[in-house]
Amino acid sequence: MLDAYIQSYNQAVFETDKPAALDVVNQALSDGFSPEDIVFKLVIPAVELMMTLIEKDPDANLAQHFMTAQIAADVTEKMLEKFSKPPEMIGRVVIGAAYGDLHSLGKRIVSGCLKSLMVDVVDLGTNVSAEKFVDTAMTENAQVIAVSAMMVHTATSEKGSLGVRALLQERGLEQQIKLAVGGAPYRFDPELYIKVGADAWAPDGVTAAKVIVDLIREVKP
Amino acid sequence: MTPLEILTAAMTGSPAPRIPVFCNLPDHGARELAMPAKQYFSKGEYVADAQLRMLRRYGYDNIWSLHYVGKEAELLGCREILFADDGVPNVADFVIKNLDDIAKLEIPADITQHPAWQPVANCLKILRSEVGATHPICAYATASTTLPAILMGMDKWMELFLLGPFDVRDELLRKCSDFCQQEIAALRTWGANVLIYSTPFGSPYFVSRKQIEQIVMPWMRRDLLPGGSEGLVYYCGMAPFNDVIDLVFDELDIKTHHISPLADIAEAKRLINTRGLTCGVIDDIKMIHWSPEQTRAEVQRIVEIGKTDGHFLFGNGIMPLAVPEANIQAMVAAAFEYGRLQ
Repeated sequence: MLDAYIQSYNQAVFETDKPAALDVVNQALSDGFSPEDIVFKLVIPAVELMMTLIEKDPDANLAQHFMTAQIAADVTEKMLEKFSKPPEMIGRVVIGAAYGDLHSLGKRIVSGCLKSLMVDVVDLGTNVSAEKFVDTAMTENAQVIAVSAMMVHTATSEKGSLGVRALLQERGLEQQIKLAVGGAPYRFDPELYIKVGADAWAPDGVTAAKVIVDLIREVKP
Repeated sequence: MTPLEILTAAMTGSPAPRIPVFCNLPDHGARELAMPAKQYFSKGEYVADAQLRMLRRYGYDNIWSLHYVGKEAELLGCREILFADDGVPNVADFVIKNLDDIAKLEIPADITQHPAWQPVANCLKILRSEVGATHPICAYATASTTLPAILMGMDKWMELFLLGPFDVRDELLRKCSDFCQQEIAALRTWGANVLIYSTPFGSPYFVSRKQIEQIVMPWMRRDLLPGGSEGLVYYCGMAPFNDVIDLVFDELDIKTHHISPLADIAEAKRLINTRGLTCGVIDDIKMIHWSPEQTRAEVQRIVEIGKTDGHFLFGNGIMPLAVPEANIQAMVAAAFEYGRLQ
């Protein structure tokens, strides 16, 4: 029903043109579509289409990933305020940059996409200890811990994903909480995620959201 | 021939016994001197000593003067670097915390008078005196369009870059370009003759080609305006950039290209051909878990693609500390062996 809008919206996102994307949303609203329609029939299908496009086109650039997340999160946040009742969330993820890592772009892209896909995101920021990841996931009843690492030593450190895995194992939580990782080092060695004890990884922030949603569904069918 | 002569031969296409073999071990120096990273980076004498020791032990062709990338942020007011004994130092204090700070950002009139410059100067002075006549001395300078990432964080910079306010963005870029011009000139004056011009925003992996042409390229031209492109290496922080190699030749006249391990090296060599120097780069993150035999095989693959018709250099990215020493030795030895030209 909203195919034409989805196409125009994604065209704007691909050209990293936020005003044009917002114009499409405003046009759909003024054409009578509800805030719920905007999120579920425009933004979510558009993000899912973007995920597919990015999977097929690994040359999609970081600016496009960033704008996909940024625009989708902004629109969703604005529309949620206008929903007649709160939407049902798919699940919850605890996200942060690994211990010793102060980079935040990757997790911001992932968080933006997840929010638009109706996933609760608990963002712990940067330089997060393994204990904090696991403690927060337990208190927040999260299905997934997502650890971003932009440097080799923060990806491979015992205080990063390996530490999270050890704690999950120690506390008997491996069936309830899954571990996803992402960041530059994983692009250079696609098998690195296994070596750091993760259940899954993604080569970019937009795809990471899809991977995390799949993990949530494994734990919470 | 000296390593410096071998490098010159590779660039000009003159006869040489082998290709140049570069190895970058900027973070290994602390381990070499058995001291914490923070202490190691506090004195240029330590950095020079460790880099000279590793040069003698491994026998590669270049030597590094780089302390850490955050040094540039320190020259612009950063007060805290997060040092790690198992990896790369991080900028822990962003100079630009909100957009109002951009107007307040001051570029030092002479960065070589800044206390943070002194370890760099001391290191370069020693390297020039010890091996300057025989070995290329490498240094690192961040392009104006990428420097803001270490001043305000990559996500805030990406937001400002793409969404504006564009007058504020351009004010920041102008200041960063002024800094870049000064830094390149200072590094040359103090003896560096291979300058790694780090420009991830000059890669289509970061932004679109249109954005590179319209926004990034004019600022890069400005960065290089005073001193030209002599000795510069186009480096996109390990991101691929084959699609803009022609543009870089045409617009910037940079002839040496540091090709990402994620890029098609054969295509890059074809594009660069004999116009300049192709740097074939091994994926040193995979080297963490490879055996020496796997490392040798990958070196052989890269060198055999690149060395035909010369104009080729073998190197690595930023060797992680977790890479076993045996793999570094295997990499250098294999590059010498497979890189023979006569």
